[in-house]
Amino acid sequence: MTLPKFLLPVVTILTQAFAFADGGTVQLHKEAGALVITVFSSSASLSAGPVDISLLLQKRNGLEPVLDANVSLLLRSDASGTEIRARPTREQAQNKLLYAAPVTLAESGKWWLDISILRNGERTEATGTIDVAPASEMAASYWGYIAFAPLMIVFFVVREWLLRRRLELRVKRCEIIWN
Amino acid sequence: MDPVAAAVLASWTLDLTGVCLLLAVATVYFRGWLRLHAELPRKYTMGRLAAFASGLLAVLLALDSPVDAFGGLLLQAHMIQHLLLIMVAPPLLLLGQPVLPLLRGLPQFVFKDALGPFLSCPELRQLGRAMVHPIVSWFALASVITVWHLPRLYELGLHSQAWHRAEHACFFWSAVVFWWPVVGLWPSHAVCPRWAMIPCLVLADLVNTGLSAVLSFSDHVLYASYQLAPRLWGISALDDQAAAGAIMWVPGSIAFLVPAVILGMRALESGRAHAMQRTTIPHIRVPRIPSTVPRDLLRMPILGYILRYRHFRRCIQAAMLLLAAAVAADGFFGPQIAPMNLAGVLPWTHWRGLAVIALLMAGNLFCMACPFTLPRDLARKAVSPRYRWPRRLRSKWIAAALLAAYLWGYEAFALWDSPRSTAWIILGYFIAAFAVDTVFKGASFCKYVCPIGQFHFVHSLVSPLQVKVREPAVCNACVTHDCIRGNDRQRGCELRLFQPKKLDNFDCTFCLDCVQACPQANVGILRVLPGQSLRENRHSSGIGRLTRRPDVAALVLILVFGAFVNAAGMTEPVMMWMHHWHARLGLHSMVPVVTVLYVGGLLIIPGIVAAACGWVSQHWAQTTAAWKDLTCSFTLALVPVGFGMWLAHFSNHLIAGWSTLIPAVEKFFSRAYSGGYPRTGIPSWLPCLEFLFLGLGLLLTLYSAWRVACRVSDGDRMALAVMSPWAVLAGGLYSSGIWIVLQPMQMRGAMMMHGMMMH
Repeated sequence: MTLPKFLLPVVTILTQAFAFADGGTVQLHKEAGALVITVFSSSASLSAGPVDISLLLQKRNGLEPVLDANVSLLLRSDASGTEIRARPTREQAQNKLLYAAPVTLAESGKWWLDISILRNGERTEATGTIDVAPASEMAASYWGYIAFAPLMIVFFVVREWLLRRRLELRVKRCEIIWN
Repeated sequence: MDPVAAAVLASWTLDLTGVCLLLAVATVYFRGWLRLHAELPRKYTMGRLAAFASGLLAVLLALDSPVDAFGGLLLQAHMIQHLLLIMVAPPLLLLGQPVLPLLRGLPQFVFKDALGPFLSCPELRQLGRAMVHPIVSWFALASVITVWHLPRLYELGLHSQAWHRAEHACFFWSAVVFWWPVVGLWPSHAVCPRWAMIPCLVLADLVNTGLSAVLSFSDHVLYASYQLAPRLWGISALDDQAAAGAIMWVPGSIAFLVPAVILGMRALESGRAHAMQRTTIPHIRVPRIPSTVPRDLLRMPILGYILRYRHFRRCIQAAMLLLAAAVAADGFFGPQIAPMNLAGVLPWTHWRGLAVIALLMAGNLFCMACPFTLPRDLARKAVSPRYRWPRRLRSKWIAAALLAAYLWGYEAFALWDSPRSTAWIILGYFIAAFAVDTVFKGASFCKYVCPIGQFHFVHSLVSPLQVKVREPAVCNACVTHDCIRGNDRQRGCELRLFQPKKLDNFDCTFCLDCVQACPQANVGILRVLPGQSLRENRHSSGIGRLTRRPDVAALVLILVFGAFVNAAGMTEPVMMWMHHWHARLGLHSMVPVVTVLYVGGLLIIPGIVAAACGWVSQHWAQTTAAWKDLTCSFTLALVPVGFGMWLAHFSNHLIAGWSTLIPAVEKFFSRAYSGGYPRTGIPSWLPCLEFLFLGLGLLLTLYSAWRVACRVSDGDRMALAVMSPWAVLAGGLYSSGIWIVLQPMQMRGAMMMHGMMMH
């Protein structure tokens, strides 16, 4: 089924809203087989909780981006052995040169990262570690929205004060004229 | 097209909030431009409109296009983004002469009431004039560009989204201030002759050139992040930096020097003497915006025709009846797994969410479509009820008690997880409505019994539409009063609301009987100010004064506190707390723990808190107003903050679980579900929306409380004192709402409902 053309921008915006902001800070950079693999995390200090992991795959010769690979990811906590599997895809990424997947890291500490890439029937494996900081305060990431109401209250208080001051000035002027 | 190029071009980072903001600005400008274009066509030309639109497009390109997506990988892309924000978007936006169109495009109450005192404040005007002084504006831009290009600060922006946004805001707003006197905004008065901008532009170019030269000729990479970033297409970090410097240098210089040349040529053309003159702007009085006639939904082209159709309500009631029958049938005979059953998802995930959104956007549309009253209407054609509802019971006490019981039962018996119980409730509702209304006259069930109806009545007080008379003068001349008495063709209002004296949506089911009955066609669905009746103390037909109705105050308290208790019940800490006490006391069931939570949270705490606030208010106000009346008045003001919580809670279920409908419907029709269960998740923007709902609720509550305080006390200081306990209560409720939204939630009605979903 094809969507009417006028719906396309709306659909694009809505689907993009579900995509995570990818790219960010380089967590791992490896050369494996014929590929150069770079792993990014969406936040600078990778912390426990929901996070977007994205990968850039490049050919070793010429560093041209690879767009036709099948990527799977296994994250394993060094402390508890908790495993998370993810399948990063280009559709989930905003930068369409990257493969991205949202994951929720349950705990902080060292995590092992196993990357498996299947391309043209050839499998490339790479491993590495990432350090995950303790969960950051969720409220901090939404402070702008939480501060909206208090800011509007301040705005209202100033407005009321300005109105009353204007009124007082008018009364004073009237009194001067009257006297 | 080359797949890599196609991927690059498809890399849009569209941010919903940002796009909505740009669309809102565009709408306001266009609205204002249309008005001004009609009044001053030579000043507000199509060119101005095009310039402003291009400016907004430049902002969109800078923040949401592939330029943004590649900004972290290539310094060149990042530099293009900054150029768009400093040298392209601001001058284009200012060429659209946006001051008056943006002000005129705003709703009148925002322009006049909210912004008016600020716009006319002499200190702020002085500050504004000082900021757009060429020397100040040049200094602002030059320092912002220089400071943000220092490696440490630039890295800060690259590593933190918040700092990156702050950096962009600094670039954009300092550029707006810089370009303001260059463009010469109308109707502001220029403080310097236009030629004075030429040295400013040249000096700005010098700063830009200096920074570009540093980037271009540096023998090492200045920003460590780009050193670490993977190299695309083999471009080295140093080459990338040099290219970024070149981009900053050449187009940057063009952006500064071309306007300087144009200004110089204009100065020469019009003669030195003329150019030296201060720009004088004729004082043009902007005509006042005429007060708009309230918009009437019934007079809208297609919608109005549909709503006015005599059998419209019957049609939607019949559709809802079929739906209710399907839900009940699936609940009784379908699989007893809530996410796979219509009774497990439709009422609890979809219907509740859509109902609160309808209340927010329009009004009590779900009472209009209520299926429960359809069978009794049909039965009344054969048997007429003989009795009036007992006088002693003509209050909201029964409904309030039923509402509290319903909220408690929902949690105690996990109704959302039991399709059969849901089906029994639906059946029970039909029987109760039928039984009450075949014995008692009027809409006794709706007015005095139905707890869902009370939910809608109370929250429709903050709806933007109301069934209302169009011209009061027409009603003054009316002697038949068909809107309440009815006529041989149409019954009158069954809830005993006399239209000319009806002030709000309370007790109104949007049945539109009055619309059909009025021979003058003088009743419409008109736009009103949300929450107006919360602030007033006027007698309304069929209700009396809401501020003297303790039953209504009790109902409101149950609804407001119920919003928070109900939402808290599905958060991890509260569930853990309940499980803790369940285990500690060695209970066989969770019902006693839930009962304690609900009796405390819905009845005892609200009662004590409201009574205490009322007592403090009366004590501080030192008025003759009764303590009970004060409590009732201020309790009503709490409706918006409670509604904000209901909105946040139900929209969370609706948005996160909208796709749960698919397997339930498929299972209902085929008794087998072919596909996998749809993935449910909370989109990253949903908490933002929930915070906005809560924030708006708090603001409307505080505003209403302030107006009530002004009404009951003499002077501002006393009003502030009277209001303060209620403001603290509202602030406490808002804070608990924020806490609830930040907690991991149980995803009820979804396959993973027994697991927690983190935002």
